[in-house]
Amino acid sequence: MKITISIITSIFLLFGHYVMAGSSSTKVALVPGGPHPYFAAWEQAGKDAVKDFGLGKADYKVPAEWDLSQQNELIESLVGKGYNAVLVFPGDAVGTNKILGELDDAGIPTAALAGCVEQPTKAKFCFGTDTGHSAYLGTKQLIKALNGKGKIAHFTGFLVDPNTTLRIKAVEKAVAESGGGVEIIQVIADIDAYEPADEKINAFMAAQGGEVDGIVTTAWVPAVVAAQALTNMGDKRIKMVGIDHDEVVLKAIKDGYVHGTMLQNPYGQGYIGSYVMDKVRGGCSFKANAPWKSTAQTNQFIDSGTVFVDINDVDTYVQAMRGISLEILETFESTYLNC
Amino acid sequence: MKLLGGYSPQLLFYILNDLMFKKLPNFAVTNQFGLFLLVILFVLFFSFFTDGFSSRFNLFALSRVVAIDIMIGLAMMVVILTGGLNLSLGALGVSAAMFGGWLMEVVGIPIIPAMLLTLAMGGFLGWINGYVTVKTGVHSFIVTLATMSIYFGMMTLFTEAEAFRKLPETFTDFGSLKLFNKYVSPLLLVSIFFVFLLFYLFKFTDLGRKLIAAGANPDAAELSGISVGQMFIYCHILSGLLAAVAALMLTSRIGAAIPSMAGNLGFDWLLPAFLAPVLGGTLLSGGKVTVFGTMLGAVLVTLITNGLYLIEVGEFWIRFFLGIILLLAVLLDKAREFFAQKSNVLS
Repeated sequence: MKITISIITSIFLLFGHYVMAGSSSTKVALVPGGPHPYFAAWEQAGKDAVKDFGLGKADYKVPAEWDLSQQNELIESLVGKGYNAVLVFPGDAVGTNKILGELDDAGIPTAALAGCVEQPTKAKFCFGTDTGHSAYLGTKQLIKALNGKGKIAHFTGFLVDPNTTLRIKAVEKAVAESGGGVEIIQVIADIDAYEPADEKINAFMAAQGGEVDGIVTTAWVPAVVAAQALTNMGDKRIKMVGIDHDEVVLKAIKDGYVHGTMLQNPYGQGYIGSYVMDKVRGGCSFKANAPWKSTAQTNQFIDSGTVFVDINDVDTYVQAMRGISLEILETFESTYLNC
Repeated sequence: MKLLGGYSPQLLFYILNDLMFKKLPNFAVTNQFGLFLLVILFVLFFSFFTDGFSSRFNLFALSRVVAIDIMIGLAMMVVILTGGLNLSLGALGVSAAMFGGWLMEVVGIPIIPAMLLTLAMGGFLGWINGYVTVKTGVHSFIVTLATMSIYFGMMTLFTEAEAFRKLPETFTDFGSLKLFNKYVSPLLLVSIFFVFLLFYLFKFTDLGRKLIAAGANPDAAELSGISVGQMFIYCHILSGLLAAVAALMLTSRIGAAIPSMAGNLGFDWLLPAFLAPVLGGTLLSGGKVTVFGTMLGAVLVTLITNGLYLIEVGEFWIRFFLGIILLLAVLLDKAREFFAQKSNVLS
């Protein structure tokens, strides 16, 4: 009996602060810039955060289109409805700051998730992939696969996405470090939707498929479409480094058509982001000497983690990302917060 | 006996009788009255059945959105008056706003002159629409479909799709100002000002009557000495001006002039642009405008959108519902036209 009581007490002490579903008044809205498969993991992340941290709500709400005005209207209506913390992928790196400022004035904490807003901002912090660094590492992997020589193409996302410019510059930086061995022959942007990606990537492959030696993609949809194109062509000569974990990309890696992919951590962003919002609402503040990272947009950045996956570890990537998330979560409070 | 400013009791009786038993019933069967009732019904419905509809934050946000939707609706209404359409409304508005952003941020022109030049740019782009429509005789649907791509393409070319984000604080703060115990945005007052201005134009000025006459029956108007082509061009200029006002308001609201502020090619403005005037009672065949109806139409559409957000029907369903409302509004327009013709035949 004593042993049973001890076990129950230990479990309660260990996980008590996690098992308090519904005890907090924090209602988090997780709002992406628009519909996109990358953000789908936020939905489960919010549900798990409610369960594990006892939040009142943590709901994933998607604007019907990639449009700043629609995103603003959605956020305003959610706040009107009682959500009191907002995690947002900025519809515009500067334009989103306006509404974040208004929410802050109303006592509602916010943070930028998966993409940053430019400072000065009222967002508490930016939590996402260091996209520039991820693109840089991915390009480095591609250059290594090409043995430091060849012509490459870069397919990337929406021009309105604050990350796109960072990615373009990072790829250029990695190529510049190749000492002239690698050359970018084409950058195709604004194709993070299936129709334009399909049209432009296939047109590129038809026109310059014989000339290009490597492809780096730094957005979800271009990675899927390019991986599919290489698979359809049966081309294993062209080396490709993709991004994210779409099934098409993972299968192409297993089949040898894609060299590897740079994984991001959308689940960890939503899960940990919701946890932090609750902490902030509970009275915690950020440490003045917190070890923030700096990006081109902000100096209050926290990297949610990125990892390169190739044919050797494509089956175990989930564990790798979960490990990164748990590591960030376990040390978050002691590293960043005064509670 | 002289009472109340010189009117005799007999005359007052006739006036009151007229107001109560003739004008009031007339108003009661108008489209605007129906819309007004619908607005009241939806306000009551959403107040009772949603969380947070009547919260200060939501009502303020609602007033800000409705202000812009009213201006977009008015900008389309003045072209519908000619029996035409302005599909380039969003592209035109964004182009004008980007021009304004460039003037304020890059050239460094003070706010008021920059805003006036922005309006002038809107008017100029509207003039191009009108001039090409009148001179070629091609329907404005086709002309503005083409200019939509031209304006948006030129704007993207000149700005390289870069936003103007360092606008003067006085300008951007205006969009965040809260009036009347923080319930109302001043942007709504700007829109109401333009509603009254347009009402005055169409109701009390010679130019307004000529614009309506030209839209109602171009041949008859031409025979009576009105330059129909010129009137149509004026309508397009006015549409461009109003679209530029809407775009400036939106820029002030989001704090930056952004190429995607009205969606790709300005498409995001088209649905509210059609819904407001058509719901309001403006005839798609031209010749009839209802300024207050357009305002109420915009209020109704914004109200429904906001309410649907709050009910959480799912963001993707909102577009579906707005499409259904547009379809119903067009059917209503056809019914209105049918009954108007029938009543003319009978009389």
